[in-house]
Amino acid sequence: MRAAIIDGKSIAADMRAEVAKDAGVLADAGWAPKLVSISIGDTAAAELYVRNQQKQANSAGVEFEARNYPAETSLEQMTGILQGLNADPRVNGIIIQRPLPDHIPVKALQKMVHPLKDVEGMHPASIGNIVYNDLALGPCTAVAAVEILKTLPMDMEGLNVTVIGHSEIVGKPIAFLMMGLGATVTVCHHMTRSVAMHSRAADAVFVAVGKPGLVTGDMLKPGAALIDIGINRIETPEGGKTVGDADFDSCAEVAGWITPVPGGVGPVTVATLMKNAVLATRMQMEQYRDAYARTDI
Amino acid sequence: MTATVIDGKAFAAKVRGQVAEHVARLKEEHGITPGLAVVLVGEDPASQVYVRSKGKMTVECGMNSYEHKLPIDVSQEELYALLAKLNADPAVHGILCQFPVPAHLSETDIVAQIDPAKDVDGLHVINAGLLASGQKTLVSCTPLGCLMLLRDHLGSLSGKSAVIVGRSNLVGKPVAQLLLQDSCTVTIAHSRTKDLADVVRGADIVVAAVGRPEMVTGDWIKPGATVIDVGINRIDAPEKGLKEDGSVKTRLVGDCDYASCAEVAGAITPVPGGVGPMTIACLLANTVTACCRANGLAEPEGLTV
Repeated sequence: MRAAIIDGKSIAADMRAEVAKDAGVLADAGWAPKLVSISIGDTAAAELYVRNQQKQANSAGVEFEARNYPAETSLEQMTGILQGLNADPRVNGIIIQRPLPDHIPVKALQKMVHPLKDVEGMHPASIGNIVYNDLALGPCTAVAAVEILKTLPMDMEGLNVTVIGHSEIVGKPIAFLMMGLGATVTVCHHMTRSVAMHSRAADAVFVAVGKPGLVTGDMLKPGAALIDIGINRIETPEGGKTVGDADFDSCAEVAGWITPVPGGVGPVTVATLMKNAVLATRMQMEQYRDAYARTDI
Repeated sequence: MTATVIDGKAFAAKVRGQVAEHVARLKEEHGITPGLAVVLVGEDPASQVYVRSKGKMTVECGMNSYEHKLPIDVSQEELYALLAKLNADPAVHGILCQFPVPAHLSETDIVAQIDPAKDVDGLHVINAGLLASGQKTLVSCTPLGCLMLLRDHLGSLSGKSAVIVGRSNLVGKPVAQLLLQDSCTVTIAHSRTKDLADVVRGADIVVAAVGRPEMVTGDWIKPGATVIDVGINRIDAPEKGLKEDGSVKTRLVGDCDYASCAEVAGAITPVPGGVGPMTIACLLANTVTACCRANGLAEPEGLTV
């Protein structure tokens, strides 16, 4: 084993400390950041996530309100609720927990969240800003994965990066974020003929597919960084276990740096959500001040 | 010379023919005529040529063309008021502002004033975000033209390895999105890329969009690859002699060195006559699509993505 294990928990703790400082400054200015989490229907499915977010929010100085709505809530009712939250100056960020009931399309709800309150970075305007290299609120998992890579002693300009998985919320935004930093990015997916050919040429590999054991040590360039975004539940003779998309043991033999699962990207993702809460609050404060500073209307 | 020449002019004419058919059908079945508004600020000669040719082709396809010419010193307020009026006008389904604009105006801010549903240039940040998140959008015209040429020439693009040289918002990035949607393995290379020639040599599909004359040479190309050259560069052509005013005559070249690339590639787009003509054809196609969406009608299949 030669890879250095990247400690996501400690990166996340540093980020939360930073967020808590910023949140304090905002609170002093009368803008204490507040998140509202919305679960609809089967609230048990996301309960663990929500509780975890609540805990992290508390330690980052961000107020957190978890709301549960019954499964029969209509799309029209949700529209009204979101419009209310968009207009409420005491609410700075809105989180839509998944899964949602079948009659509520997730993309429709994400589009209704005001872009300045889109702490999950899922609104088309947020994604478009990433594409145009104007990062404000980015999708938390993708931003977290890139933030982790940025803690390593690597020059991002000209870095050869392979992203495995082209999902809209993780793979593609990572590709655009890395491209914005000057990396040469290759995006692979299930139709790619030889993923290994691309991953072996990369100084950094991101994997976000949802297949345990997909990346093995022989697919990596010695010394490369491997950021594993997968979270898979598998059964072993010793009982259930959470693993990533990489075969950790063989990859750790070859890679220079590797994120563990759990304890890698996961904690940084939640910390990024809190960072987004602070960013969103600050943008709203500035927008409010700009609007009221104008005397020509 | 081994490469097949991809005739963008002929293919664009075919697309315009399809657009005209859809326009005729919209008129006959629904009494609707799609309308495209083009805003030109100032009197830049090249822009005037583009705008005239867009207007002409719009009318040829049976659509309404609305040209708005504003003086070079038009204020931001006046321009935005015009855009707001066009946004609200139900006869206008597509709006585009011809760039470049004078320095006192911002292109990004102008695009932000246009209703994303009428942004037939596909430049609005919301449209970029919708494309990136795999949702219905209007795709900018040149990238759409590249995709259509590739699909027409290669059929399925799935599993092919594509290298895009250039990461501009206008071409490189949207082309990458479109090729990913068609299941290519996509690499975006640019000025910071190490060993650019090696990267390009791995590609079944090369899209060059950097704006550097004849940068990509035949030895960068994998034998049999398909080369789409988006660049349009004017260079001196002393072999053509002198112009009347004594200056050297010029010619248009792409980002690829055509002669050497055509020796190696399986197929290549010429400059001019490759991607260029596709851009206006796709603008017209986008206008029809926007018109169908605005009226709650099914969009023509295969015309846009």
